[in-house]
Amino acid sequence: MGALSIRNVKKSYGNTHILKGIDIEIEKGEFLILVGPSGCGKSTLLNMIAGLDDISSGEIAIGERVVNTLSPKDRDIAMVFQSYALYPNMTVRKNIAFGLDIRKVPKGEQDEIIGRVAKMLQMEHLLDRKPHQLSGGQRQRVAMGRALARNPALFLFDEPLSNLDAKLRVELRSEIKLLHQRLGTTIVYVTHDQIEAMTLADKIAVMKDGEVRQFGSPQQIYDSPADLYVAGFIGSPAMNFIPCELAEDAGRAVVALDSGDGNKQRIVLGAISDTQRAYVGKPVVLGVRPEQLTDTSSAHSERDDLQTLTATVAITEPTGPDTLVTVTLNGTKTVARCHPRAAGSPGEQVKLMLDPGKALLFDPATEKRLA
Amino acid sequence: MANLAYHQTPQARFARFVIYAVLVLVAIFYLAPLFVMISTSLKTLDEIRGGNLMSLPGSLNFDAWKTAWDSACTGVECGGMKGYFGNSLKMMIPSVLISTLVGAFNGYILSMWRFKGSDAFFMALLIGTFLPFQVVILPMAQVLGMLGIESGTTRLIMVHVIYGLQFTTLFFRNYYVTVPNELVKAARIDGAGFFRIFFSILLPISIPTIMVCLIWQTTQIWNDFLFGVVFSSGDGQPITVALNNLVNTSTGVKQYNVDMAAAIIAALPTLVVYAIGGKYFVRGLTAGAVKG
Repeated sequence: MGALSIRNVKKSYGNTHILKGIDIEIEKGEFLILVGPSGCGKSTLLNMIAGLDDISSGEIAIGERVVNTLSPKDRDIAMVFQSYALYPNMTVRKNIAFGLDIRKVPKGEQDEIIGRVAKMLQMEHLLDRKPHQLSGGQRQRVAMGRALARNPALFLFDEPLSNLDAKLRVELRSEIKLLHQRLGTTIVYVTHDQIEAMTLADKIAVMKDGEVRQFGSPQQIYDSPADLYVAGFIGSPAMNFIPCELAEDAGRAVVALDSGDGNKQRIVLGAISDTQRAYVGKPVVLGVRPEQLTDTSSAHSERDDLQTLTATVAITEPTGPDTLVTVTLNGTKTVARCHPRAAGSPGEQVKLMLDPGKALLFDPATEKRLA
Repeated sequence: MANLAYHQTPQARFARFVIYAVLVLVAIFYLAPLFVMISTSLKTLDEIRGGNLMSLPGSLNFDAWKTAWDSACTGVECGGMKGYFGNSLKMMIPSVLISTLVGAFNGYILSMWRFKGSDAFFMALLIGTFLPFQVVILPMAQVLGMLGIESGTTRLIMVHVIYGLQFTTLFFRNYYVTVPNELVKAARIDGAGFFRIFFSILLPISIPTIMVCLIWQTTQIWNDFLFGVVFSSGDGQPITVALNNLVNTSTGVKQYNVDMAAAIIAALPTLVVYAIGGKYFVRGLTAGAVKG
């Protein structure tokens, strides 16, 4: 039994079903990220774990304990909010002490806890300030300190970095990761930012429309997305989805790509699986991440399975380390990640290399990946 | 604003002059009655009869104030305004405090602990703010009769609390909807209960709204005449009713100076409240105005 078990949890208001049966289980010390677009139910799920929202059906267990009917304070959790939710009328010290007071922690012990937490987050000098005297980053740090002071079995984070500017967000992100590594606590973290999800998580649950589309490690989700939605949501720039027709040649999957001149370029992919064989002669969607489609100088030329194709450059977008080159394949805009010097300019022909081992195939109707 | 003053074209300077001239005129227009009241209250009756309305008193003579305070006749009684001033205080202070506290509590529930139909409930309450006093009088009299409350002061406290609640609830509710709900969630996780959250977190951050309610309710209740005249009688009446009686009681010569002094005494508390709390009033009204 894990540190947090969510079993077939549902939430509905009348006929509106917000959550349609969620199953997630994580071990002690794991960092779980719930990621998805707004309205997917991720915050509702977090509120239900916290006990701030009722569960319509199903079961949530923290540790060995089913907590369905326990009030938030009895669940052994702490939560950090997007708006920080610091009590505006209290100093930082009082903010941290508030919860300890209610749980009747003796005064001496309180001071000790506050001192330890303040030291850990380097905010000793802020203890006697009021929240309105702090910057956004400092406020979020205090909010984390307040959660740490409880020393709970489970930490809940509700989009804690969304109100911060880009630089601070990256800074606090690594701080949270470091904190997790040092303390080894179990964390559930909600975000709509797929980069936060990838960088922080041990386990990611990608949610959409009240369902978990895929649950797994960041690498699993990145390399083997379950469906078109997950494939498109995780990764930036997003994965290219090129419609094509599947063929088979000598036990290998083969597709043809047309860069707009009517010339079908044959691309040989990996060994064809039984699932994929059923789609031979039928339309499929080829999923290729931009970094798997590069110029010839960036590719590992010692590999002999790399597929080459030529295409006409439509737009180039330099990002510094590489340049994103947009070409058209089978009538679809496709982004390739190239070395800045090999990117070419609009109107030019470029030679690109495609990594067949990483390319994925999807059913265009069900949107599921063809494993 | 400071920047504007430095590089001004002649036209801009003229426009500014016109603006200030208009403002000064309007201020004079509004302050003139107060000036007449104060100067008349300091004159003797002879000066009033002899001079004109705007002329200054010959010497500062506070006799009229003394008469108004403790010996002017309001009907058959001739004890001045002092007793009625006390009546008004005894009625106003509990009414203001109770209606503000209960309003804060209502606002807290209507914004942070919404229940099925709470919005409809709030709408119904809002309609109450549009009801004129006259509509309430008869049903209120019947209810007070059924409850058998005898004392004029108690009856007025009850009437003013009930009539004031929709206003105070509205003020607090509109302020609390701008407070992030996450604050309450955080407190719940910290283990604070319904009342603890209200008294330890929300009430302490509501000072501007509390000031608005105190000022609003003080003014409304102190200045009320209609409820006062209907629901109280004899020496339990509030000061507004006493002032009316004083001015309308004629025993020979009409003492304008005493009337004026009495009127200023009756208006003084609200003036003081505005002078002290005016800046909170504007701040508090706009505090909840950004989000609805």
